[in-house]
Amino acid sequence: MSMLRGFLILLLFFLFGEAMRGLFVLPVSGGVLGMMAMTLTLMVSGHVGDDLASASRALISVLVLLIMPGVVGVFFTADQFQGQWLAVAAALLLGSFLSVLTTLLLMRSLVRTSAVSGK
Amino acid sequence: MTELLARFSSLSDMLSTSPALAIGLTLGAYFAGNGIFVRIGRPLWLPPVVLAAVMLSAAIALLSVDYARYREGAQWLTVLLGPATVALGIPLYQQIHHIRALWRPILCTLPVAASLAAVYAVAIAWALGATPEVMASLAPKSVTAPIAIGITEQLGGSVSLMMGGLLITGVVATLCVDVLARVMAIEDERILGFALGINGHAIGTARAFEISPTAGAFASLGMGLTGVFTAIFLPVAFRLIAH
Repeated sequence: MSMLRGFLILLLFFLFGEAMRGLFVLPVSGGVLGMMAMTLTLMVSGHVGDDLASASRALISVLVLLIMPGVVGVFFTADQFQGQWLAVAAALLLGSFLSVLTTLLLMRSLVRTSAVSGK
Repeated sequence: MTELLARFSSLSDMLSTSPALAIGLTLGAYFAGNGIFVRIGRPLWLPPVVLAAVMLSAAIALLSVDYARYREGAQWLTVLLGPATVALGIPLYQQIHHIRALWRPILCTLPVAASLAAVYAVAIAWALGATPEVMASLAPKSVTAPIAIGITEQLGGSVSLMMGGLLITGVVATLCVDVLARVMAIEDERILGFALGINGHAIGTARAFEISPTAGAFASLGMGLTGVFTAIFLPVAFRLIAH
């Protein structure tokens, strides 16, 4: 029962996010808006209820199951992207390498300077 | 006998009119994928979702179920992605105290790193002549799946291509962090975890938890913040460029 109550809270936040998206024609999805509203609400209230905690744990643990129908589509719609696979592969492989390198360099220098100025 | 065979061959057609077949296939492949993953020793480069997806598509093809019809039935599962995205706000809230401890490097790195992850991919794809649809599918490649699905739909990309790209990005980014950390002699677990979460979403975060709980906490934080930031930044940027 408690998990269902938590699920209802999640669903209400999602519907709230969708409503905001529709009302203000926002480009952000209703789920993300609901998530931001949820984080802000928790920061204000300062604690997570048991109902909410168990419902969110349950949903997060089956995320892979929920995204699988989308993943398999890549095998059935592959023809659509003929001649683009080089661009896709280069963007993924080189792009990921470059972005990891940038993050590490940036974070390393910033942590160092904040440690120095903090002393 | 021939009549029975004829009826047998039209069986998958008949069964796929209800969502039960689609849900059953997805659940079955999910458990089989997890089982094989454990059996072959949890390899870092082959996450269970890839195994499950390969088996699911094999089953769909073998049973000659129409993909569009499968998708329709599987909506009973995908509709849960909305509340599941909201649920990600709870672990994000639980990591918030890390921001207080190291707020300056986190808040300076995040917008730059998260936008560059998208910009690098789109720029490389554009230079090699990708169509706008492909670029829109690759842009959210570092974002955790439930949020990325929402972004791709907003941008007009292909959810399937985006999901494929997401998986490859997760695996490649995780390997890159491992290699570059060694080359650059970075040992700070907070930096490694944060880099894993920003670039490698859930796959990177899983790796970070193997390094240490602190690295895992920073990875969850990086993943959550990247998701929120990219979900706001990308649609707005695409809208500005398109105009």
